[in-house]
Amino acid sequence: MIDPLEIETKLLDFLKREVFASAVVVTPETDLIASGFDSMSLVRVLLFIEQSYGFWIPEGEITVDALQNVRSLAATAARILNAR
Amino acid sequence: MNLTELLEATARRWPQKLAIVEDGVVLSYGGLAQQVCELAQQIGSLNTGASSRIGLAFPNGIAYVALTFALWRLNVVVVPVPSDCPEEEIAEIGVAMQLSGMLTPKPRGASVAVAPDCYFTKLNPSKPPDNHGLNLAFIRFTSGTTSARKGVALSHETIRDRILSANKAFRITADDTVIWCLPMAHHFLITVVLYIEVGATIVLARHVTAKPFLEAVNRWKGTVLYAAPFHFSMWARDYSAVQIPSVRLAISTTCALPQDVANDFFKRFNLVLAQGLGVIELGLVALNTPAPGGRWNSVGRGAGDFQVRVVNPDAEGCGELAVRGPGIFDAYVAPWVSREEVLCDGWFYTGDIGRIDEDGFLFLLSRKTAVINLAGRKVFPEEIEAVINRYPAVGESRVYGQLHPHLGETVEAEVVLSSPDAKLDTIHAFCREHLASYKIPTRFTIVAALPRTPVTGKIRRAAPVA
Repeated sequence: MIDPLEIETKLLDFLKREVFASAVVVTPETDLIASGFDSMSLVRVLLFIEQSYGFWIPEGEITVDALQNVRSLAATAARILNAR
Repeated sequence: MNLTELLEATARRWPQKLAIVEDGVVLSYGGLAQQVCELAQQIGSLNTGASSRIGLAFPNGIAYVALTFALWRLNVVVVPVPSDCPEEEIAEIGVAMQLSGMLTPKPRGASVAVAPDCYFTKLNPSKPPDNHGLNLAFIRFTSGTTSARKGVALSHETIRDRILSANKAFRITADDTVIWCLPMAHHFLITVVLYIEVGATIVLARHVTAKPFLEAVNRWKGTVLYAAPFHFSMWARDYSAVQIPSVRLAISTTCALPQDVANDFFKRFNLVLAQGLGVIELGLVALNTPAPGGRWNSVGRGAGDFQVRVVNPDAEGCGELAVRGPGIFDAYVAPWVSREEVLCDGWFYTGDIGRIDEDGFLFLLSRKTAVINLAGRKVFPEEIEAVINRYPAVGESRVYGQLHPHLGETVEAEVVLSSPDAKLDTIHAFCREHLASYKIPTRFTIVAALPRTPVTGKIRRAAPVA
């Protein structure tokens, strides 16, 4: 079983480093879409998860609720990963 | 002519009709025309000068559309600057395109406020740009190799001609409502300007995920969807039972449409997804609507007044595609190469390899060039290699596309190190400083040597790796 917190930490680090401009403050609760998370950011995150954990988040799981913030995104990834 | 005349004609005909909807803000054609006039006055007072070139670094929004038309009204050439560009690339666009200024939603350095959330930064091109007597409206900056021709220039007349041709295929009218999600910095002319010309309504989707997007379609009774396979795949695989009965036309663009996406979209919404082929030098070349059964993977027949032919076909009928039609680009900008110098007997050689079946349907097979298509964004390997090669411990590198089932291709790199102590992490970090996020390779591999062509010794550019 993988801990959602572990994914959350990795995702947060990735988003800060590679997706958001350095001026944007990102915490696990930051509203991603309101902070400028767009289609291309989504592509980058899905690729990062695929590369780190070896699975692609199914398109049906890419919902507004899942993309609300880093915490919800990590929880979604952990749920899918742990069900495999 | 000037493209603002298209907006003004629509605004005179339907002043009350909805032009653009953004996050609950609803703007009529009359309101949009008024906003364009006011912005033109504000920008005009900065004395940027007619025929000057101004960079527009705005995200999707009403402001993006209004500013483009305001600049056109002033006879200024609009140069879109994607908002995810790092500073280094913005500076490169400024110099290469000889921009006299840049419009941004946030203040920059010595910028001055033009309107709320709109700032102008004056730039000083080393010499004033020469538009060679053309009535230029638009330059799309294309990076690519250092030796490549940078910037595709289009005049007001060219854009009008390609819009008229494209709409013979799209058949969009004032009764249509387009639910929009692609970046305007990359898609604007045969789309947004066309919608304005015919008086359609443009609804800017707040987000591309299925729930808000499908909600927007139903709330605004959207009739036209124009998006990348990546988007259609998300909507097709949405778990809800929401239907979108108002949609009559769904067009997949930017990269090849995977058959499973087309099938799933049809099963989910009972809508045939049509592929279109748009090329910045040409406009809408082909559109597969109505898509006949069994030809899902075709981009269709020549759209509007466009003709397509295969040059020197091999035994299977495959070869480079050449295209001719109205609204072909006016010139490459840096260095300046006119349309007449590029075309061969009126035909534009696309660099795409394809075949045309007995009924005239066009099938794209591969590209002659090494450009990588990441979820619809074009990535030029040479540009990324140039950055990687600047890192001191790198001898040379090769960037290539890796086929990906959901994204088309992803960007990967092989590097030859000149110092054994170099770490891939630091090369990756170096790329982050100098490249837009989507251009950074997702995987780096250290290799002893790069494959080379036997005769010229150039780095071998392989087809995407499966």
